Amino acid sequence: MTLQWQAAWVAVTTHPLFSVGVTLLAYQLGMTIYERARKVYLQPFLISVVTVISVLLACGVPYELYRTNTTLLTLLLGPATVALAVPLFLNLERIRQLFGPIMLTLLVAGTVTTLLGVVLGWLFGISEQLLMTLTPKSATSPIAMLVAEEIGGIAALAAVFVLLTGVLGAILGPVLLTRFGVQHPAARGMALGLTAHAVGTAQALQEGEECGAFSALAMSLMGVATAVLLPLVVTLLR
Amino acid sequence: MLLRGLSLLVLFQLLGTAISVLFIPLLPGPIVGILLLFGFLLWRGRVGEPMQQAATTLLRFLPLLLVPPAVGVMAYAAEILDHFWAIAGTMTLSLIISLVFTGWLMQFLIRRQANRRGQA
Repeated sequence: MTLQWQAAWVAVTTHPLFSVGVTLLAYQLGMTIYERARKVYLQPFLISVVTVISVLLACGVPYELYRTNTTLLTLLLGPATVALAVPLFLNLERIRQLFGPIMLTLLVAGTVTTLLGVVLGWLFGISEQLLMTLTPKSATSPIAMLVAEEIGGIAALAAVFVLLTGVLGAILGPVLLTRFGVQHPAARGMALGLTAHAVGTAQALQEGEECGAFSALAMSLMGVATAVLLPLVVTLLR
Repeated sequence: MLLRGLSLLVLFQLLGTAISVLFIPLLPGPIVGILLLFGFLLWRGRVGEPMQQAATTLLRFLPLLLVPPAVGVMAYAAEILDHFWAIAGTMTLSLIISLVFTGWLMQFLIRRQANRRGQA
Protein backbone atom coordinates (compact mmCIF):
# COMPACT_ATOMS: atom_id res chain seq x y z
CA MET A 1 0.00 0.00 0.00
CA THR A 2 1.40 3.41 -0.95
CA LEU A 3 0.75 6.25 1.41
CA GLN A 4 -1.16 9.20 -0.07
CA TRP A 5 1.50 11.84 0.77
CA GLN A 6 0.25 14.24 -1.83
CA ALA A 7 -3.37 14.02 -0.64
CA ALA A 8 -2.35 14.46 2.99
CA TRP A 9 -0.23 17.52 2.14
CA VAL A 10 -3.09 19.15 0.24
CA ALA A 11 -5.58 18.32 2.99
CA VAL A 12 -3.33 19.93 5.61
CA THR A 13 -2.33 23.09 3.73
CA THR A 14 -5.85 23.85 2.53
CA HIS A 15 -7.41 23.23 5.96
CA PRO A 16 -8.69 26.50 7.53
CA LEU A 17 -6.71 25.75 10.70
CA PHE A 18 -3.49 25.73 8.68
CA SER A 19 -3.93 29.40 7.80
CA VAL A 20 -4.97 30.32 11.35
CA GLY A 21 -2.17 28.20 12.84
CA VAL A 22 0.54 29.70 10.63
CA THR A 23 -0.67 33.19 11.59
CA LEU A 24 -0.65 32.40 15.33
CA LEU A 25 2.80 30.78 15.18
CA ALA A 26 4.23 33.60 13.05
CA TYR A 27 2.95 36.15 15.57
CA GLN A 28 4.53 34.29 18.49
CA LEU A 29 7.78 34.10 16.54
CA GLY A 30 7.56 37.85 15.97
CA MET A 31 6.95 38.52 19.68
CA THR A 32 9.90 36.34 20.69
CA ILE A 33 12.29 37.98 18.25
CA TYR A 34 11.08 41.45 19.28
CA GLU A 35 11.50 40.72 22.99
CA ARG A 36 14.97 39.26 22.49
CA ALA A 37 16.30 41.92 20.12
CA ARG A 38 14.45 44.99 21.47
CA LYS A 39 14.79 46.80 18.15
CA VAL A 40 11.99 49.16 17.13
CA TYR A 41 12.12 48.14 13.48
CA LEU A 42 11.70 44.44 14.38
CA GLN A 43 7.97 44.90 15.07
CA PRO A 44 6.17 41.58 15.81
CA PHE A 45 3.60 42.58 13.20
CA LEU A 46 6.20 43.07 10.47
CA ILE A 47 7.95 39.78 11.26
CA SER A 48 4.59 37.92 11.30
CA VAL A 49 3.54 39.28 7.92
CA VAL A 50 6.87 38.39 6.30
CA THR A 51 6.81 34.92 7.88
CA VAL A 52 3.21 34.19 6.82
CA ILE A 53 3.87 35.33 3.26
CA SER A 54 7.00 33.13 3.07
CA VAL A 55 5.13 30.08 4.37
CA LEU A 56 2.19 30.62 2.01
CA LEU A 57 4.52 31.00 -0.98
CA ALA A 58 6.55 27.94 0.05
CA CYS A 59 3.43 25.79 0.50
CA GLY A 60 1.70 27.12 -2.59
CA VAL A 61 -1.34 28.47 -0.74
CA PRO A 62 -2.92 31.34 -2.72
CA TYR A 63 -3.83 34.55 -0.84
CA GLU A 64 -7.55 34.15 -1.66
CA LEU A 65 -7.66 30.84 0.21
CA TYR A 66 -5.67 32.26 3.14
CA ARG A 67 -8.04 35.22 3.39
CA THR A 68 -11.14 33.02 3.39
CA ASN A 69 -9.61 30.73 6.01
CA THR A 70 -8.63 33.50 8.43
CA THR A 71 -12.09 35.11 8.58
CA LEU A 72 -12.17 33.95 12.21
CA LEU A 73 -9.40 36.47 13.03
CA THR A 74 -10.39 39.35 10.76
CA LEU A 75 -13.97 39.27 12.01
CA LEU A 76 -12.69 40.48 15.40
CA LEU A 77 -11.21 43.64 13.85
CA GLY A 78 -14.60 45.36 14.04
CA PRO A 79 -15.12 44.95 17.81
CA ALA A 80 -11.43 45.85 18.33
CA THR A 81 -12.02 49.13 16.50
CA VAL A 82 -15.09 49.83 18.64
CA ALA A 83 -12.94 49.12 21.72
CA LEU A 84 -10.81 52.20 20.91
CA ALA A 85 -13.58 54.23 22.57
CA VAL A 86 -12.41 52.88 25.95
CA PRO A 87 -8.89 54.44 26.09
CA LEU A 88 -10.39 57.60 24.63
CA PHE A 89 -12.90 57.77 27.49
CA LEU A 90 -10.26 56.93 30.11
CA ASN A 91 -8.13 59.90 28.97
CA LEU A 92 -11.06 62.29 29.19
CA GLU A 93 -9.68 64.18 32.20
CA ARG A 94 -6.37 64.90 30.44
CA ILE A 95 -8.25 65.94 27.30
CA ARG A 96 -10.26 68.47 29.32
CA GLN A 97 -7.14 70.09 30.81
CA LEU A 98 -5.43 70.67 27.47
CA PHE A 99 -8.60 70.72 25.39
CA GLY A 100 -7.75 73.82 23.33
CA PRO A 101 -4.18 72.88 22.35
CA ILE A 102 -5.20 69.27 21.61
CA MET A 103 -8.13 70.18 19.37
CA LEU A 104 -6.25 72.92 17.51
CA THR A 105 -3.23 70.65 16.98
CA LEU A 106 -5.48 67.81 15.83
CA LEU A 107 -7.30 70.05 13.38
CA VAL A 108 -4.30 71.91 11.95
CA ALA A 109 -1.60 69.22 12.14
CA GLY A 110 -4.02 66.44 11.15
CA THR A 111 -5.02 68.40 8.04
CA VAL A 112 -1.39 69.24 7.22
CA THR A 113 -0.32 65.60 7.67
CA THR A 114 -3.07 64.28 5.41
CA LEU A 115 -2.71 67.04 2.78
CA LEU A 116 1.07 66.69 2.72
CA GLY A 117 0.67 63.00 1.87
CA VAL A 118 -1.71 63.79 -0.98
CA VAL A 119 0.36 66.67 -2.40
CA LEU A 120 3.70 64.83 -2.20
CA GLY A 121 2.14 61.69 -3.67
CA TRP A 122 0.71 63.75 -6.51
CA LEU A 123 4.10 65.42 -7.09
CA PHE A 124 5.78 62.02 -7.20
CA GLY A 125 3.18 60.91 -9.77
CA ILE A 126 1.36 58.21 -7.80
CA SER A 127 -1.83 56.74 -9.35
CA GLU A 128 -5.19 57.75 -7.86
CA GLN A 129 -5.88 54.33 -6.38
CA LEU A 130 -2.49 54.30 -4.64
CA LEU A 131 -3.00 57.88 -3.50
CA MET A 132 -6.34 56.95 -1.89
CA THR A 133 -4.52 54.07 -0.21
CA LEU A 134 -1.73 56.32 1.13
CA THR A 135 -3.98 59.14 2.33
CA PRO A 136 -5.22 57.59 5.61
CA LYS A 137 -1.70 56.33 6.49
CA SER A 138 -1.47 58.27 9.74
CA ALA A 139 -4.62 56.71 11.19
CA THR A 140 -4.39 53.45 13.11
CA SER A 141 -4.62 50.35 10.88
CA PRO A 142 -8.25 49.21 11.23
CA ILE A 143 -9.46 52.73 10.55
CA ALA A 144 -7.00 53.32 7.71
CA MET A 145 -8.06 50.05 6.10
CA LEU A 146 -11.75 50.82 6.37
CA VAL A 147 -11.27 54.38 5.13
CA ALA A 148 -8.97 53.36 2.25
CA GLU A 149 -11.59 50.90 1.06
CA GLU A 150 -14.28 53.55 1.48
CA ILE A 151 -12.48 56.18 -0.65
CA GLY A 152 -11.34 53.79 -3.39
CA GLY A 153 -7.95 52.55 -2.17
CA ILE A 154 -6.72 49.05 -1.35
CA ALA A 155 -7.29 47.96 2.27
CA ALA A 156 -4.42 45.45 2.41
CA LEU A 157 -1.94 47.97 1.05
CA ALA A 158 -3.21 50.65 3.42
CA ALA A 159 -2.32 48.40 6.37
CA VAL A 160 1.21 48.07 5.05
CA PHE A 161 1.61 51.83 4.50
CA VAL A 162 0.24 52.49 7.98
CA LEU A 163 2.71 50.11 9.50
CA LEU A 164 5.71 51.41 7.55
CA THR A 165 4.76 54.98 8.50
CA GLY A 166 4.52 53.91 12.15
CA VAL A 167 7.88 52.15 12.19
CA LEU A 168 9.51 55.10 10.43
CA GLY A 169 7.97 57.50 12.96
CA ALA A 170 9.05 55.42 15.95
CA ILE A 171 12.64 55.23 14.70
CA LEU A 172 13.07 58.82 13.48
CA GLY A 173 10.54 60.58 15.76
CA PRO A 174 12.36 60.91 19.11
CA VAL A 175 15.61 62.06 17.41
CA LEU A 176 13.80 64.57 15.17
CA LEU A 177 11.70 66.00 18.01
CA THR A 178 14.76 66.52 20.20
CA ARG A 179 16.69 68.15 17.36
CA PHE A 180 13.87 70.62 16.74
CA GLY A 181 13.55 71.49 20.43
CA VAL A 182 10.26 69.74 21.25
CA GLN A 183 10.72 68.69 24.89
CA HIS A 184 7.24 68.83 26.42
CA PRO A 185 6.12 65.20 26.96
CA ALA A 186 2.53 66.00 25.90
CA ALA A 187 3.78 67.58 22.66
CA ARG A 188 6.14 64.67 21.91
CA GLY A 189 3.30 62.22 22.59
CA MET A 190 0.88 64.14 20.38
CA ALA A 191 3.39 64.16 17.51
CA LEU A 192 4.17 60.44 17.79
CA GLY A 193 0.52 59.37 18.16
CA LEU A 194 -0.89 61.65 15.49
CA THR A 195 1.59 60.71 12.77
CA ALA A 196 2.75 57.24 13.80
CA HIS A 197 -0.36 55.81 15.61
CA ALA A 198 0.10 52.52 17.53
CA VAL A 199 3.80 51.99 16.75
CA GLY A 200 4.53 55.59 17.70
CA THR A 201 2.48 55.15 20.88
CA ALA A 202 4.52 52.09 21.86
CA GLN A 203 7.64 54.23 21.45
CA ALA A 204 6.07 57.14 23.37
CA LEU A 205 5.24 54.83 26.30
CA GLN A 206 8.96 54.13 26.65
CA GLU A 207 9.61 57.85 27.05
CA GLY A 208 7.22 58.10 29.98
CA GLU A 209 3.64 57.82 31.15
CA GLU A 210 2.48 61.31 30.15
CA CYS A 211 4.06 61.05 26.71
CA GLY A 212 2.41 57.65 26.22
CA ALA A 213 -1.03 58.81 27.36
CA PHE A 214 -1.00 61.77 24.98
CA SER A 215 0.21 59.56 22.16
CA ALA A 216 -2.68 57.14 22.74
CA LEU A 217 -5.06 60.07 22.84
CA ALA A 218 -3.68 61.59 19.63
CA MET A 219 -3.90 58.19 17.96
CA SER A 220 -7.58 57.74 18.90
CA LEU A 221 -8.52 61.29 17.94
CA MET A 222 -6.62 61.16 14.63
CA GLY A 223 -8.26 57.80 13.91
CA VAL A 224 -11.77 59.08 14.54
CA ALA A 225 -11.10 62.35 12.69
CA THR A 226 -9.71 60.46 9.69
CA ALA A 227 -12.63 58.05 9.72
CA VAL A 228 -15.27 60.76 9.99
CA LEU A 229 -13.78 63.55 7.87
CA LEU A 230 -11.70 61.92 5.12
CA PRO A 231 -14.51 60.00 3.36
CA LEU A 232 -16.66 63.14 3.62
CA VAL A 233 -14.01 65.40 2.08
CA VAL A 234 -13.16 62.92 -0.69
CA THR A 235 -16.85 62.48 -1.56
CA LEU A 236 -17.40 66.24 -1.63
CA LEU A 237 -14.36 66.83 -3.85
CA ARG A 238 -15.37 64.24 -6.45
CA MET B 1 -16.48 38.68 32.21
CA LEU B 2 -14.43 38.77 29.04
CA LEU B 3 -17.31 37.32 27.06
CA ARG B 4 -19.78 39.85 28.43
CA GLY B 5 -17.54 42.74 27.38
CA LEU B 6 -16.95 41.14 23.99
CA SER B 7 -20.70 40.70 23.48
CA LEU B 8 -21.20 44.38 24.28
CA LEU B 9 -18.53 45.39 21.75
CA VAL B 10 -20.14 43.15 19.11
CA LEU B 11 -23.54 44.63 19.94
CA PHE B 12 -22.19 48.17 19.52
CA GLN B 13 -20.64 47.31 16.18
CA LEU B 14 -23.86 45.72 14.92
CA LEU B 15 -25.81 48.77 16.09
CA GLY B 16 -23.22 50.92 14.30
CA THR B 17 -23.64 48.85 11.14
CA ALA B 18 -27.41 49.27 11.21
CA ILE B 19 -27.15 53.03 11.75
CA SER B 20 -24.47 53.28 9.06
CA VAL B 21 -26.68 51.56 6.47
CA LEU B 22 -29.84 53.41 7.49
CA PHE B 23 -28.56 56.98 7.89
CA ILE B 24 -24.87 57.59 7.15
CA PRO B 25 -23.53 55.14 4.53
CA LEU B 26 -20.35 57.30 4.39
CA LEU B 27 -19.13 56.04 7.78
CA PRO B 28 -18.26 52.35 8.21
CA GLY B 29 -20.14 50.41 10.93
CA PRO B 30 -17.22 49.98 13.38
CA ILE B 31 -16.55 53.74 13.27
CA VAL B 32 -20.16 54.53 14.13
CA GLY B 33 -19.68 51.87 16.83
CA ILE B 34 -16.77 53.84 18.39
CA LEU B 35 -18.90 56.98 18.55
CA LEU B 36 -21.86 55.04 20.03
CA LEU B 37 -19.71 53.35 22.66
CA PHE B 38 -18.00 56.63 23.54
CA GLY B 39 -21.40 58.26 23.96
CA PHE B 40 -22.56 55.33 26.07
CA LEU B 41 -19.47 55.58 28.32
CA LEU B 42 -20.02 59.33 28.72
CA TRP B 43 -23.64 58.72 29.69
CA ARG B 44 -22.70 55.96 32.13
CA GLY B 45 -19.74 57.90 33.51
CA ARG B 46 -17.42 54.91 33.90
CA VAL B 47 -16.04 51.83 32.12
CA GLY B 48 -17.43 48.59 33.56
CA GLU B 49 -15.05 45.76 34.44
CA PRO B 50 -16.21 43.41 31.61
CA MET B 51 -15.89 46.15 28.98
CA GLN B 52 -12.46 47.17 30.29
CA GLN B 53 -11.27 43.59 30.16
CA ALA B 54 -12.57 42.90 26.66
CA ALA B 55 -11.22 46.18 25.28
CA THR B 56 -7.76 45.68 26.81
CA THR B 57 -7.57 42.11 25.51
CA LEU B 58 -8.72 42.96 21.99
CA LEU B 59 -6.46 46.02 21.70
CA ARG B 60 -3.50 43.99 22.94
CA PHE B 61 -4.00 41.54 20.08
CA LEU B 62 -4.78 44.21 17.50
CA PRO B 63 -1.45 43.64 15.66
CA LEU B 64 -2.26 39.90 15.38
CA LEU B 65 -5.74 40.61 13.99
CA LEU B 66 -4.15 42.88 11.37
CA VAL B 67 -1.79 40.21 10.05
CA PRO B 68 -4.25 38.47 7.66
CA PRO B 69 -5.33 41.69 5.87
CA ALA B 70 -1.71 42.84 5.63
CA VAL B 71 -0.62 39.53 4.10
CA GLY B 72 -2.78 40.70 1.18
CA VAL B 73 0.20 42.83 0.20
CA MET B 74 1.53 39.71 -1.55
CA ALA B 75 -1.26 40.16 -4.06
CA TYR B 76 -0.04 43.73 -4.78
CA ALA B 77 3.74 43.20 -4.74
CA ALA B 78 4.11 44.13 -8.42
CA GLU B 79 2.20 47.38 -8.02
CA ILE B 80 4.32 48.47 -5.03
CA LEU B 81 7.60 47.67 -6.76
CA ASP B 82 6.46 49.61 -9.84
CA HIS B 83 6.04 52.77 -7.76
CA PHE B 84 8.61 52.01 -5.08
CA TRP B 85 10.52 55.31 -5.06
CA ALA B 86 7.41 57.48 -5.33
CA ILE B 87 5.79 55.64 -2.39
CA ALA B 88 8.97 55.65 -0.27
CA GLY B 89 9.58 59.34 -0.98
CA THR B 90 6.01 60.38 -0.19
CA MET B 91 5.92 58.42 3.07
CA THR B 92 9.32 59.49 4.40
CA LEU B 93 9.03 63.19 3.53
CA SER B 94 5.44 63.63 4.72
CA LEU B 95 6.19 61.78 7.97
CA ILE B 96 9.28 63.85 8.83
CA ILE B 97 7.61 67.19 8.10
CA SER B 98 4.29 66.46 9.80
CA LEU B 99 5.86 64.84 12.88
CA VAL B 100 8.10 67.81 13.61
CA PHE B 101 5.29 70.26 12.80
CA THR B 102 2.81 68.48 15.11
CA GLY B 103 5.25 68.43 18.03
CA TRP B 104 6.23 72.06 17.53
CA LEU B 105 2.61 73.26 17.23
CA MET B 106 1.41 71.35 20.31
CA GLN B 107 4.32 72.65 22.41
CA PHE B 108 3.71 76.21 21.21
CA LEU B 109 -0.01 75.99 22.10
CA ILE B 110 0.64 74.42 25.53
CA ARG B 111 3.09 77.21 26.40
CA ARG B 112 0.69 79.86 25.16
CA GLN B 113 -2.10 78.42 27.33
CA ALA B 114 0.23 78.28 30.35
CA ASN B 115 1.31 81.89 29.81
CA ARG B 116 -2.27 83.10 29.55
CA ARG B 117 -3.28 81.29 32.72
CA GLY B 118 -0.18 82.65 34.45
CA GLN B 119 -1.18 86.20 33.57
CA ALA B 120 -4.83 85.83 34.50
